[in-house]
Amino acid sequence: MSTEYTCLVVEDSPMMRQLLVFALSRVKNLKVTEADDGVDGLRKLAGNKFDLILTDINMPIMDGLKLVKRVRSDPMHKETPIIIITTEGSTEDRQRALQLGANAYITKPIQAPQVIAKVKELLKMGG
Amino acid sequence: MADTNQPDMKKKATTKRDAKRKSERPASSRVGDRARIETFVQQFFRKGAQLTEELLQENDQLRRLHLQLEAENAKLRTQVSSDNAMRDLLRKIKQLEKEKGDLLSHIHEAELQSTRFGARFHEMEEELSKLANLYVASYQLHSTLDVQLVVKHLKELLQQLVGAQRLAIYMADTARKYLLLVASEQIDEKKYARMSLGGEEPSVAERVFLTGTEYIAEGALAKCNEKAPAAVLPLRFDDQVVGVIVIHSVFEQKTSFQQVDFELFKMLGAHAASALAGAMLYAAADARLPDATKLSSMPKNPLPSSASRST
Repeated sequence: MSTEYTCLVVEDSPMMRQLLVFALSRVKNLKVTEADDGVDGLRKLAGNKFDLILTDINMPIMDGLKLVKRVRSDPMHKETPIIIITTEGSTEDRQRALQLGANAYITKPIQAPQVIAKVKELLKMGG
Repeated sequence: MADTNQPDMKKKATTKRDAKRKSERPASSRVGDRARIETFVQQFFRKGAQLTEELLQENDQLRRLHLQLEAENAKLRTQVSSDNAMRDLLRKIKQLEKEKGDLLSHIHEAELQSTRFGARFHEMEEELSKLANLYVASYQLHSTLDVQLVVKHLKELLQQLVGAQRLAIYMADTARKYLLLVASEQIDEKKYARMSLGGEEPSVAERVFLTGTEYIAEGALAKCNEKAPAAVLPLRFDDQVVGVIVIHSVFEQKTSFQQVDFELFKMLGAHAASALAGAMLYAAADARLPDATKLSSMPKNPLPSSASRST
């Protein structure tokens, strides 16, 4: 029996979210949950264990950096791999996110194969 | 009766004569005879023993020869059988070599096939990715009738999917004398608010609007700017060009436009204008959807194109 993985996608842009969900739907045994922003993301993380978190940096209400910080301070999600999505030129944000505990980053415009490869790598999935 | 006894009588008479003769010979002569006989007998026996000895020796030699021949025969038999085994082994080796060759050829074929499948899989992955991008772009463009949202989605599409950093969206006025800025990102809106059409030295945007042919910059995209844009795309409504999208510059990591970008440009050219027009009409109708019953009274044939309507 194959293991089922769970992934939380935190992205305020519906288009980007849809693109990410589309890409992730091609990863076998991966169940995706969507969140509109950081606050919604934290709400969905409360009491639920995820195998991976994919979050945008620039979001209203609560941005990705704050979300990474909050996630890392929660013992339940301390070890959960986090991928951040950044735009070109936001090197500082990227560095900050990695310092706060994010594991990897993807630069926009995103490419589905790139997202899939990174997710598989962090989930240690073969193929 | 007298006749049958006659020969016996003669025989007896002869024996008697011999005995009388013998008894008449001297004793020394009789001793000499005996010695000669004994010598003869002894010689006879010696010769017999010698002959027997020779026969035994010959027999022995023959036996040894027989054994030797048998051994040689066995050796030859072994050699023949070992030769046969060798031949069998050589045949097997040949067969195995052939099988090995076949297997190697199959492996090579399988590897080639695997490479072909790998390449095909990669192509399909890329195709899927393109289709997903196109689907999402089209879905987002037509997901709302709110003008602001359509513009927002259009800008987002250009930024997130194409990698546009500074951009402008123009629509022509009714008289088609100007191109008016309806949305932009990171450009001086006042400076680029309006572009007059029909000047002596038409800009790239103007040329694209007038010809309906898209413009894509050649070479490095990093050097593109307001004067030399990265791409200008005509916005079509029916057969008529009603505006343009100008991509002044792209993100640093975007070094060149890919096939998927060209597909997106085509899609945006065909869908963006209708999405904008639909949203504007909806706004003009005070955000009211048309009465569904009116659909049945609408003309069955397609409306004449905007171009033919204007003439």
